[in-house]
Amino acid sequence: MLELGLFYIAATVSLVSTIMAVTRYNAAHALIYLIISLLASAIIFYLVGAPFAAVLEVVIYAGAIMVLFVFVIMMLNLGASGDTEEHALLNPSMWIGPSILCAVLFGEIVYVLSGAQQTLAGQVIGPKAVGLELFGPYVLAVELASMLLLAALVGAYHLGRRYFIDAREQDNG
Amino acid sequence: MNTLDLFALLPLIILTTSIILVMLVIAFARNLALTCLLCCIGLASTLLSIAWVGSSADSGYVTPLILVDAYSTLFSGLIVAAGIFISLISYSYLKHRGENQDEFILLLMLSTLGAVTLAHSAHFVSFILGLELVGVSLYAMISYPSKGLFGLEAALKYLILSGVSSAFILFGAAMMFAVLGTLSFSEMASSAQAQSTIEHWFILIGTTMVLAGIGFKLSLVPFHMWTPDVYEGAPAPATALLATISKGGIFAALLRFFLSFDGYQYNLITESLFWIAILSIVIGNVLALMQTKIKRVLAYSSIAHLGYLMVAFVSASILSGKQLAIEASIFFLFAYFITTIGAFGVVAIMSCESQGSDKDEISHYQGLFWRRPLLAAFFSAMLLSLAGIPLTLGFVGKFYIVAAGVESELWALLVAVVIGSGIGLFYYLRIIFSMTTHTDSDEPIAIPATGGWALGTLAFLLVYLGVYPTQVVDWVSSVAKSMI
Repeated sequence: MLELGLFYIAATVSLVSTIMAVTRYNAAHALIYLIISLLASAIIFYLVGAPFAAVLEVVIYAGAIMVLFVFVIMMLNLGASGDTEEHALLNPSMWIGPSILCAVLFGEIVYVLSGAQQTLAGQVIGPKAVGLELFGPYVLAVELASMLLLAALVGAYHLGRRYFIDAREQDNG
Repeated sequence: MNTLDLFALLPLIILTTSIILVMLVIAFARNLALTCLLCCIGLASTLLSIAWVGSSADSGYVTPLILVDAYSTLFSGLIVAAGIFISLISYSYLKHRGENQDEFILLLMLSTLGAVTLAHSAHFVSFILGLELVGVSLYAMISYPSKGLFGLEAALKYLILSGVSSAFILFGAAMMFAVLGTLSFSEMASSAQAQSTIEHWFILIGTTMVLAGIGFKLSLVPFHMWTPDVYEGAPAPATALLATISKGGIFAALLRFFLSFDGYQYNLITESLFWIAILSIVIGNVLALMQTKIKRVLAYSSIAHLGYLMVAFVSASILSGKQLAIEASIFFLFAYFITTIGAFGVVAIMSCESQGSDKDEISHYQGLFWRRPLLAAFFSAMLLSLAGIPLTLGFVGKFYIVAAGVESELWALLVAVVIGSGIGLFYYLRIIFSMTTHTDSDEPIAIPATGGWALGTLAFLLVYLGVYPTQVVDWVSSVAKSMI
């Protein structure tokens, strides 16, 4: 039963942080809650016996994509208004919520990893099993996903260009 | 994966290889004519390989994701052929628009690949990947012109709504997966039998969410809000692609999903599809009446046409009329492809000399019969086909829809089709009428060779197949028979 309790705690953290992410007016705050939401779903993945998916969730979503978002948004807030903005980030009312949620998740992961608790599902799917599926029956999905990324890359490159063109025209007059 | 599997995948492999080739050529030498030529060669060889595979390979699954059979052959052939015509029209459209137009062709090929994947998909994984491939290429194509914010606005609208609809489809698929434990359409059908009440509701809600997501992509009422703005803001070739390849591929996957999963067993869903069809026809046609821009008229008329298509789709719920309904929907889609590419092709040709947004005010077309009789004749043929006038392909398509409705005895839908066609006639004829009136404007209209020939071929096919549709009808009905 305790596993189920762990699941519900992580699910509650995930729900609360997602709702907070949707309702924040400041994009940086929303992103911090979104990162916590992703961390909580990583723990849920771990609990249901998918440690590899959990690691991917942390490394790719919370680690790479979201941190990139945070950087971009912080870089857009340059100048004097940016300074006051950053000052506001140090206000306790801003960081206390995310910290509590993080602490809950941290406690949970320490408890689970200390070996006191088994995972919910009897069967644990490791990286090898995921790899065998991906390059066995689902190999075409991998290929199609690569074409999807190509489309996104070409599109982003083209759309990004127009700002370079605009900037060049502004420089010339 | 053995040699036979690779042979069955040949069209997809050739298409992907030519995409990579075109990308590399663009990286080394930017030359629009060369890019288009390579694109057309790639698509044409894909078309040949589809015909070859379709005639000699046995139908069957290649990995759980892809199903190659007569149905996928027909749809992917249609999609790739549409891709060739759109790339020819795009060449004329892009030629005079400054540098860096090559990526448009690359994105066009990528979205064609996505739609071909949709036509082959028998699994939610390939379905969603295909859907996203079409969508992601379209975002960039809609906002392609590097000047003006109009296209950007359209692309943003499409991006948000298409993202929401993908989320709906994913959530619906996840709900069905939670109960059924599989994402393959045919396996879902076999495990959907004998469910408890709660599981039954999970499946029902999941299917409804998938349908709502697809409704956005097909721009059916009440999910149609984005359509006119996106159609108007996008460059005409991208609009043509959005209206045909994207919607055709998605409809192919939807029909396959419903036939193999037997979504018709849920009365609630059939009932709501019934109302979606009626609303799409009526609202699409009524709103089209109030438009002054050709692209907006065509946008609303495409909503109405997808409504007609849904009439056939709903008719397939009645067992006795199933085969005819499938036949009707495939044939109607065939007619819709040729007509819509032709109509947007005319808009593209008219705007190929202008640098800014497309020429789509009705006033631009005033007196076209006196200035460019051939172009005006092509456009009239397309519009008459959209209206469903005899001797055009559109008439045969609409006749099929009515026949399918009669066979399944869905009288309310037929009444909507009749009323919708009546209203439609008015606004199509209004455009034709304005083309015949005299005008003082003597601004020259140049017709580029490539686009002109592509349009001519489409107009020829429209009339020829409208008069002698037998071959296509035989082909379509054999495919429909294989789907029962």
